[in-house]
Amino acid sequence: MDLKDRFGKELLFFDGAMGTMLQGQGLQPGELPEIWNVEKEDVILGVHKKYLEAGCDIVKANTFGINPFKMKGTGYSCEELTEKGISLAKRAIAQTGRDAYAALDIGSLGRLLEPLGDLPFEEAYEAFCPVCAAGERAGADLCLIETMNDTYEMKAAVLAAKETTSLPIVVTMVFDENGQLLTGADMEAAVALLEGLRVDAIGLNCGFGPDVMKGFLPKLREVCSLPIVVNPNAGLPAVVDGKTYYQVGPEEFASVMKEIALGGVSALGGCCGTTPEHIAALVRACRDIPPMEVTDKNRSVVSSYTHAVVFGDRPKIIGERINPTGKPRFKQALREKDMEYMYKEALAQQEKGAHILDVNVGLPEIDEVEMMKAAVSGLQGITDLPLQIDTSDQAAMEAAMRLYNGKPLINSVNGKRESMEAVFPLAAKYGGMIVCLTLDEDGIPETAQGRVRIAEKIIAEAAKYGIPKKDLLIDTLTMTISTGQENAKATLDALQYVRDVLQAHTTLGVSNISFGLPQREKVNTAFFTVALSKGLSAGIINPNSGAMMAAYYAYCALDGSDRQCADYIRIYSAAQGPSGPEEAPSVGVLSGDGGHPGASARDGETTLYDAVVKGLSASASKAAKQELASRDPIDIIDHDLIPALDCVGQGFEKKTIFLPQLLMSADAAKAGFDAIKEHLRAQGDASASKGTVVLATVKGDIHDIGKNIVKVLLENYGFRVIDLGKDVPPEAVVEAVKEHQVRLVGLSALMTTTVANMEATIKLLKEEAPECRVMVGGAVLTQTYADMIGADFYSKDAMGSVRYANEFFAGEG
Amino acid sequence: MGVKEETLRYLGYQGRQPDGRTMELVEDAIRELEERNAPKSIYREYRCEAAGETVRIGGLEVKSRDLAKNLQGCGRAVLLAATIGRGADLLIRKYSISNLAKAAVVQAAGAALIEQYVDGLEDAVRESARARGLSLRPRFSPGYGDFALECQKDLFAMLECGKRIGVTLTEGNLMMPSKSVTAVIGLAKTEREPGRESKCARCGNADCAFREGT
Repeated sequence: MDLKDRFGKELLFFDGAMGTMLQGQGLQPGELPEIWNVEKEDVILGVHKKYLEAGCDIVKANTFGINPFKMKGTGYSCEELTEKGISLAKRAIAQTGRDAYAALDIGSLGRLLEPLGDLPFEEAYEAFCPVCAAGERAGADLCLIETMNDTYEMKAAVLAAKETTSLPIVVTMVFDENGQLLTGADMEAAVALLEGLRVDAIGLNCGFGPDVMKGFLPKLREVCSLPIVVNPNAGLPAVVDGKTYYQVGPEEFASVMKEIALGGVSALGGCCGTTPEHIAALVRACRDIPPMEVTDKNRSVVSSYTHAVVFGDRPKIIGERINPTGKPRFKQALREKDMEYMYKEALAQQEKGAHILDVNVGLPEIDEVEMMKAAVSGLQGITDLPLQIDTSDQAAMEAAMRLYNGKPLINSVNGKRESMEAVFPLAAKYGGMIVCLTLDEDGIPETAQGRVRIAEKIIAEAAKYGIPKKDLLIDTLTMTISTGQENAKATLDALQYVRDVLQAHTTLGVSNISFGLPQREKVNTAFFTVALSKGLSAGIINPNSGAMMAAYYAYCALDGSDRQCADYIRIYSAAQGPSGPEEAPSVGVLSGDGGHPGASARDGETTLYDAVVKGLSASASKAAKQELASRDPIDIIDHDLIPALDCVGQGFEKKTIFLPQLLMSADAAKAGFDAIKEHLRAQGDASASKGTVVLATVKGDIHDIGKNIVKVLLENYGFRVIDLGKDVPPEAVVEAVKEHQVRLVGLSALMTTTVANMEATIKLLKEEAPECRVMVGGAVLTQTYADMIGADFYSKDAMGSVRYANEFFAGEG
Repeated sequence: MGVKEETLRYLGYQGRQPDGRTMELVEDAIRELEERNAPKSIYREYRCEAAGETVRIGGLEVKSRDLAKNLQGCGRAVLLAATIGRGADLLIRKYSISNLAKAAVVQAAGAALIEQYVDGLEDAVRESARARGLSLRPRFSPGYGDFALECQKDLFAMLECGKRIGVTLTEGNLMMPSKSVTAVIGLAKTEREPGRESKCARCGNADCAFREGT
């Protein structure tokens, strides 16, 4: 019978450990067990047969560690070892005559993915592909992706399995004692991602023995709508003289597993330390226990790489600020591929209490697919909020959904056939909740009934793609009341009907309501409150608006979803009196942004010079704006900002001022410069730069904080910096130098080993762009080292690079 | 030395008293790191042999004169790997955008925290060794002297670092999370233990700006 048909209908049994068995037969620590598929096939075959005789229904082929990284240099290919591994499992099944299945066992690659690691997502995906393809070719009955501790790697593996095979997919993960994966995801987030990817079963393995795992199951059963698999270790390992021993014997193992089975699961087996005796005892104890009934938990959920956001009891805030519409500064940033603007918007919205961030980077003159990929990768490296992928470009949408580390919110689909045919297949493949706009080929219906009808059509059509109603967020479309006062009523009536009768979740772009009116915030907040009371599940708003957030928190206090008004009191008891209606108070998600909005910030007396020297960002920005009213920008730079930076820089070199103060001043000066740049831009004045510098942390090195510090200081001194990031190959540095005709390059390296790559980069630069100068810095470098590798200048600290750049460009005239 | 003092040393203070705002940054950074602290470690003890420039620890063979010297006379050695998790890396990424001073302070505080954690692990190893009449040699990590960073690969395979504590290697053999440590600790019958001497004394770089004491 097909495995998919049996899952959830009868309790199935996995086998136990392979590695433990092989160590018993002489496998050395560090030796690759998969090579035994070829070199000691009788041993592998023997282990499989013992497990089958013990009564397991699913045999894990000896393929766990096969991937291109681990196989490099072994003389074996991934395909060869995988096919051999599957064929051994199948041979064992045939020889024992059992009605059992051979699982292609897929483990972690052992490399950390970007942004924290150095392995790009697509390379991880590609590393899994040959193993998956070979597994199916050799006759595997399912893919078991196991011992996973990173949601992103899990996603790469599942996509590889989905795209190269048609096999059922089971994913089991290792949670730590806090119920989190090593990369920080909680159970809800991991389940949301996997259910979105339409895997066939989810579970736990390795890490702990059955006693600890038992404690994780209530939560898993609560959030998971799929069959559940549990493969624990035989307790915790003890290491004696370099050898690992597991402490839970077969009978004890089986008795705890029986409790787990009675609590409800779909399949049971073992991981490290379990033996055929453990599995035999397990099967004896549990074979008559019925499997858990698999039910839809009906949860509407999106997730990030750490946590899930569940739609239901309390309305959610979707931050709308990452969108170039009406923001010339953001448009310019997008054209210049300057990601920092977007990152700051993201962090600010998170601090103000947003739950989800909308990401729209659509500009006609840029490559939206590339920008969307950069935005999603970058944003998920700095914020743990789920993202709402907002684009009408189908290619950009797919690229973003693929790269996203979680279950995203998708903005949007509408009732047009063309739109549904484009968006639903993507959501069915990658997972996601979808914002559904109630418009179609005939436009936006004026009446509530018309919009409800489209909502019904979208819900029905989504179901055909296997997308349940719980994954839809219906937008009944906010239209401004300045063109028709019945507009608000139509939107709200439709919203209420969708919520109460169709029982679907809802969203609105709230601020459209006041388009064309004065003092829009007044109308927006009132409309927001009314919409919330009609059942709005998520408002797309500007979280930086204090009035909107106040309306939100006040509403949650009123409807009781803010229990004991705890959030309301926490947030507003500190912010006293009429604290400027413009600014929303922080909710304390992040701590301060460097500026001290304390006494001196409110003190109008602080001069720009003092603000920079003292490192007060908010004061520096304010003082710069004041000065701009009466003085020439260049005069302010030359007589306030630069002297202040010089003062701090000299103090740093004399060791009366230390790195944190230098950087606080750098941030403050940057705030001052930003104010001046804004002013110049408003006057249509392109700010002149003193020279352009390319910065990079060399290939192989991923420690880039030093480079980032140099970047900010150089920018403060008026240089334009092209930041190539970290782990940058020599060719990319040369390419940037040639493309922008740059005369000065700064390279950083932390480790002795990567200094070799620094040398290679300098060598290539000297060949390809001999007129270019190179300054270097980093923890292990010394003057001698720098001379040896042919650098033109060794900077012992960040200020040194500024000094050299100043001298260099002054000398150039 | 406390984490706060160590953090300041990494920031270059060399015993000088920081101003109030820096102190606040340091305290905030340590608090935020502690909130995200996810310490994990694994260590295993092996038979050890060191002669000339060849060292054998269990099935691992290393060519390193400096390591061999460090392990002279040790019949056993502990391989150790530890991490405080990726909280520091995430905070550094975030603050590199919004607050550069904080990023630098988190970097330093993270280094101080992982050192403190490994010191604690070393104490546990010391205790178990002492019970058997053995004493510890100073811990020695890949990258020290001529102990090649390349050796990280073998060490990682032996300790199963990825699976057990979630630490992985980049192509250039750097550890992620970055606030992680691997080390070899020799156990010998003879007392040559320097006790709690300054770690910096083991290093030849006398001009280092971060050198402990003077």
